[in-house]
Amino acid sequence: GRIPSSFPLTQTVKRSVVLHNQRLTAVFLCRRVTMRGASTGIVYGGLKYQARSIADVKADTDHTSFLAGTLSLKEENEVHLIRLSPPGSELVCEGLFYHPNEIWDLKSCPFNPRIFSTVYTSGETYGASVWQIPELNSQSNAPQLEHLISLNEHSFKIKCVLWWPSGKHDKLISIDEGNLFLWSIDTSNKMAKVISQESVGMLHNLSGGAWDPHDRNAVAGICDSSLEFWDLRTMKKTSSIEQAHARDVDYNPKKQHLLVTAEDVSGIRLWDLRRPKCPVKELPGHAHWTWAVRHNPEYDELILSAGTDSTVNLWLAHPPGANDSMSESPVDSPKRPKDSLLNSYTDYEDSVYGLAWSTREPSVFASLSYDGRVVVESVKSYIRRK
Amino acid sequence: MLWIRILLRDSKDLHTDSCPHVQKLNLEGLLQKHVEMAAEIKNLDTDLQIMKNNIVGMEANMEQLLAKITSVQSKSDLVNTSLFEKREHIEKLHRTRNLLRKVQFIYDLPTRLAKCIKAEAYADAVRFFIGSKPIFEAYGDSSFQDCKRASEEAIDLVIKNLEAKIYSDSEPIEARAEAVVLLKQLNFPVVDDLNSILIADNFVASCQVDSLKTKLLEKLEDYLMTLQDEHKETGASALDTLETRVIWEDVTLMDEVLAEAALPAFSLEAARSIIRQFISTSFSHLLLEVSEALTKSQPMPKKGSEESSLQNALEGSKKVVIQGSLDLLLEFRQLLDDNLELLAKLRDLIVDWVQEGFQGFFQKLDERFLALCGKGYIANPDSSVIDAIQVDKVQTGLVLVLAQLSVFIEQIAIPRIMEEIAASFSGGGARGYEHGPAFVPGEICRIFRSAGERFLLLYINMKTQKISILLKKRFTTPNWIKHKEPREVHMFVDLLLQELEAVGIEVRQILPQGLVRRHRHSDSTGSTNSSRSNATREDKLTRTNTQRVRSQFLESHLAKLFEQKMEIFTKVQYTQESVISTIIKFCLKSLQEFVRLQTFNRSGFQQIQLDIEFLKNPLKEFVDDDAAIDFLLKEVIGAAHERCLDPIPLEAPILDKLISTKISKSREESQRYNKLTKPKELFVCSERRL
Repeated sequence: GRIPSSFPLTQTVKRSVVLHNQRLTAVFLCRRVTMRGASTGIVYGGLKYQARSIADVKADTDHTSFLAGTLSLKEENEVHLIRLSPPGSELVCEGLFYHPNEIWDLKSCPFNPRIFSTVYTSGETYGASVWQIPELNSQSNAPQLEHLISLNEHSFKIKCVLWWPSGKHDKLISIDEGNLFLWSIDTSNKMAKVISQESVGMLHNLSGGAWDPHDRNAVAGICDSSLEFWDLRTMKKTSSIEQAHARDVDYNPKKQHLLVTAEDVSGIRLWDLRRPKCPVKELPGHAHWTWAVRHNPEYDELILSAGTDSTVNLWLAHPPGANDSMSESPVDSPKRPKDSLLNSYTDYEDSVYGLAWSTREPSVFASLSYDGRVVVESVKSYIRRK
Repeated sequence: MLWIRILLRDSKDLHTDSCPHVQKLNLEGLLQKHVEMAAEIKNLDTDLQIMKNNIVGMEANMEQLLAKITSVQSKSDLVNTSLFEKREHIEKLHRTRNLLRKVQFIYDLPTRLAKCIKAEAYADAVRFFIGSKPIFEAYGDSSFQDCKRASEEAIDLVIKNLEAKIYSDSEPIEARAEAVVLLKQLNFPVVDDLNSILIADNFVASCQVDSLKTKLLEKLEDYLMTLQDEHKETGASALDTLETRVIWEDVTLMDEVLAEAALPAFSLEAARSIIRQFISTSFSHLLLEVSEALTKSQPMPKKGSEESSLQNALEGSKKVVIQGSLDLLLEFRQLLDDNLELLAKLRDLIVDWVQEGFQGFFQKLDERFLALCGKGYIANPDSSVIDAIQVDKVQTGLVLVLAQLSVFIEQIAIPRIMEEIAASFSGGGARGYEHGPAFVPGEICRIFRSAGERFLLLYINMKTQKISILLKKRFTTPNWIKHKEPREVHMFVDLLLQELEAVGIEVRQILPQGLVRRHRHSDSTGSTNSSRSNATREDKLTRTNTQRVRSQFLESHLAKLFEQKMEIFTKVQYTQESVISTIIKFCLKSLQEFVRLQTFNRSGFQQIQLDIEFLKNPLKEFVDDDAAIDFLLKEVIGAAHERCLDPIPLEAPILDKLISTKISKSREESQRYNKLTKPKELFVCSERRL
């Protein structure tokens, strides 16, 4: 087995390493955190290094599980398959796999629970790959990830890989600082080829994006100071939102044309693409950078955001249209349902970069702070309330 | 004869064109027709002949008539000429008589005016005087000198009386209104105060009411007449008692309705709408004034005047808000104090309107503030067109002014206005109790408290954003993995300090100083990490070898784990120190985040170490929370350490040497700069920086 590095472990977690079947499986006894009062999160302290990426395993319909990848410059990096035990009381490491390089982005395949993609760097080199988790009850000695596909057409630093969020689709998008690639992939034959490519030019920098779940031909890309939209059939820009210094973008999973951005100055802003001139709503976001923002997959008025102020905020933001008739009445009238901060989860020691709702259990989300701590929280009480 | 020819041709056509067809017809019949036609034609011919003869006869008659008319005309001309002279004479006499009459009128004017004054018929007096004005203007200096003087004296008396009338409360409102109108006619500089305007307004209103009254009465009369007629008819026709009874009931009903639709209601209605309008326009005017005061001093201040322009904007707008509101209250109070019967009835309503007015005014003011910051769409989310200012073009200084102005409104203006309202505008309640009072100071205070906080945060955000762009450029441009050995402190630190200095200039104009005195390098207890990061320890650490740095790194991690989270995101206060230190904290946090996104080689790491080490002292000049700065700077170096493949820090002597080179270089530069321009502020700040 591996000896844990000298990196200090989160003191809050009792850890026991259990060896069986010659496979290293770490089981972390988890506890309800009571450190700063109100928090009820379940903590998983198994990531030994710093980490930025966590993803919900969408295709796993039997368990609520997440994949998290570490970001360590000098040590061997890992991907953890974390499962929420059925009563929802603890997080169990279901699998631990070595990953050759530090992971900057990790996304799960929406139609196969064993497949996921990573974006990684090693010194000056970078890459993006699609991996397959080996059969967990196989008797193999070392749990090696099976490398399926390399997305190696990139000449700039790769930022992220996007899967079409709404189910089976044989395409994949990868975004680097200067280009957008559309791939046709065949995981069973380990084949991938570029269908089309669009460059944003030397003057612009892409830093991320999102694939429209309502339209598999529409993708949003985060450019320096704007949000650009492409039609994948023509690879031409269809529209843009100017003056948006976005760090993250997420489409509303229930209503077409709506999306949310996490921005430098303005915190969180909700947009209607049919009216890109000005945002529909604005939420204050975080005390420092708002790093990530996600709609709840089921209750789209619940929005989760993670920030470098070491907090995760849960917002209630009614999408526009639902109460349009009320918008006429300014103050005197009975107040329309107010958008508000429902809760602020503050039990983090460092910036929170990773954020993922569970598709299977929409009242549950996982968050990952830079110090490698995964915290799973339930928002059930807020859903019931509304 | 043309007709006949045409007719003939037609008949010929009939014969030829339709020949085959015709031949089949009865020839006899055709012949018969032909004969008839011929006869007819002949008749026509004769008729025409006769007509022609008649016309010829008429012509002759006409000529005769013309001759007669000519002769009559010439005769009348003759008469006319013979009478012309006489008529001219008569006209002359008439003109003279008119002139004499006028002269007589002028001579009589003083007496006449005196009579009018006696009878208090000022309207007539004014009319007479205005009528004779042109003559006085033309001949006043010669023939009618005495007369003019006398009448002017009289009219002065009239003016005096009229004025007295305006200000005497015992006079009925109509009389006072009339007086105002008359004075205006006399071009007398009518005191343009609220009182007179109001009286005039009321006069107009009562005029409207008068006309309404007459109309109503006429209608009523008509109806009664018809009713009576009907009654007569029915009375005459039969003894239908039932019908008479119905009419009688109608009349009684009308009597009741008449009481209900009492005329005062009309006048009340009219007065109501006018006062309401008056109040609402007053408020919108004030709103305009406030936003003008804010934006007037805004356009691009020059370097020199920058110092005080923000302050001016703040003071100016403060004054407009408080003074404008108090002035309005004064005017409205006069309205209530007028003690007019009509207004007295409206008292409750006026109180409500004034309260509502203030409520609405402050709500609109809040919206206006937002719009000025380019956030208009928040207040008015349905406006699809953004005419508001783009966020980029908003001046940060204005945002700061708005923040402080909001505090002023919340803490000073609202309580003051509340007092005034409580003193003179309490009561009301015409809205009904379920609505509560119209002016809710608590709500307004809450709005402005949150607005103030929002603007302060917005200011901090805008500034942080500006610096963030600078930092982003710094960290995304170089290839950190192939960085060369650090030779000097990177210039981005100068830009960073410059930005912070600019913030300092703005903040010092608008915000008060904090109560906490600054102690340089004191062991502030503001944060939990301070015990571990005092200056001496820091100095020692920089002189240690790699191993020590590593242990320091580990130590800071352990510290992070066992200590409470460093409270860098504390609540911002309205003080210079708080704002500037918040901005610095945010920037250092951003610095750490940018570092975390890179991978460094040893030299890259050393460059970061050098830059951060240099920043330590100048940053502490800005901030009262040394511990937080130390902590954050250490975090930056820690982050660089983590992201470095080979993190061996610079040796202390080299570090010191590079830093002192930088210090002397920037001192030289600032001296050179001072020789050129000598702006005091810059000199002071660069000195302080060193």
